[in-house]
Parts: sequence; structure tokens; C-alpha cells
Amino acid sequence: MDLPEERIGDAVVLDARGRIDSTTAKEFGDRMIGLIESGCRHLVVDFKNLVYISSAGFRALLLAARKADETESALVLCGITGKIRQLFEIGGFTDLFRIYPSREDGLSALR
Amino acid sequence: MATIATAIPNRRAEIPRVARVVDDLAAAQGLPGDVVADMQVALDEVLTNIISYGYADEGVHVIQVRVTADERSLTAEIEDDGRPFNLLDAPEPDLRGGVRDRAVGGLGIRFVRTLMDHVEYSRAADRNHLVLTRRTAR
Repeated sequence: MDLPEERIGDAVVLDARGRIDSTTAKEFGDRMIGLIESGCRHLVVDFKNLVYISSAGFRALLLAARKADETESALVLCGITGKIRQLFEIGGFTDLFRIYPSREDGLSALR
Repeated sequence: MATIATAIPNRRAEIPRVARVVDDLAAAQGLPGDVVADMQVALDEVLTNIISYGYADEGVHVIQVRVTADERSLTAEIEDDGRPFNLLDAPEPDLRGGVRDRAVGGLGIRFVRTLMDHVEYSRAADRNHLVLTRRTAR
């Protein structure tokens, strides 16, 4: 999976590009958890370049959210539209996360 | 109407092969993008479930998939020789609760049930047979 990171101030924006499925979900999850465990207190995960996510991806997201909770870090999401948005809604994940239209909105909210 | 049949061994890395079959059929038949996208998610979840939980041994098993498309619907039939598993019997996941309480088990099955218009299960001769149907018009 292509997961470029960008540091903006004390926040990290993680660009989830391509597909999160049963073969890539672990890498995605490990990256988010790794960032949080190494001290990232403000993590924005941007889904605008994501074309696909399966339940394995949601599981990884949930585990990362728990890690964020444990460390009192903020994990917010952005760029969720179309089919991916529909899956978030079906899975009841729109209530569970702070979701913003764009990374700029997410970063503003974290300041 | 067009049909493509394929078979994969029970390895997650093989699932994209089925996805490509669906894409090829969809392109040839000019199916709407959302119909294909929903089937891709449902198939991925079903195959991942079979591969993850269907077998008591570490051996190689073959999963048959037949995809059919016509103007009215896209259908996938999945057949495996794993343990009996009727997706329709699985309980709905509890979607209440915060991050700490939320269970993720059952989410894939919820996707299948919600994205597909019809799901049919049968078992015969020690094989599970699942049919997923996504209509083009809703």
C-alpha cells in the first residue's frame, strides 16, 4: 500500500492511497498504531485517494482508534465520499469517528 | 448474458484474481460502476470469510466462483468444501457502543447483506453454495 505521510506542525497527515483489503489492512493498521506509539498526538487519515476498503480495513481503523484513546491522541478522518462513505455508514462508523471533508478541515479542528 | 467461471485456492492473495474476473465481465457488459463496486466488496468479504474460517486444516482447498451478468443483474455463485456456514444465520453486528466497546466481527457479513439485493445459501454434498445478486435497477 502507498501510505505517504506529511508532517504539518505537530500533526501527521496519512494519505491512504489505493486499497485497504485483507492483504493490506495490517500494513495500514500498523502504520497508524506505529505513528501513535511513537508520539504522534494528532493524526489525520485522508481517504480521498482511497478506491476500496473492506471490513479488514475498518477493523484496523478501530484498533488504531483504541490506541489513540489509550494514549489520549486524536485520530480524525477526512476525504470520505462515495462508496467508501456508504460503507462507513453501513458499518456505523460515521458515529464513531470525527470526520472532516478535507485534511485542512481536520487539521484546523485539531489546533 | 455472459458468464465467467473461475476457481481459486484458499489463499487471500488469490482473491484479486476473482476481482479481475468481475472487472472483465463488467467491462464487457457495460455494467454500472456502483453495481460492480458493491459486488467486489461482497465477494471480497465472502471469500475472505471462507478462507479465514472455513477450514479446519491447513490444506489447499478450491473455491469455485461463477460470475454472471445480464442487463438486470450481476450474480456471483461461490462454492466451497469448507465447514457448513450459512452467512444468513450469522447475527447482525452490534453497531452501538464507542470505540472501546464496538465489535468489528460481523461487519463483512453486514456489508454483504446490505449491498446485495439477494443472498441465497444452500448446502449439498458437503459443499457450501452461496449466490449473491446485485440488481442493476433498484
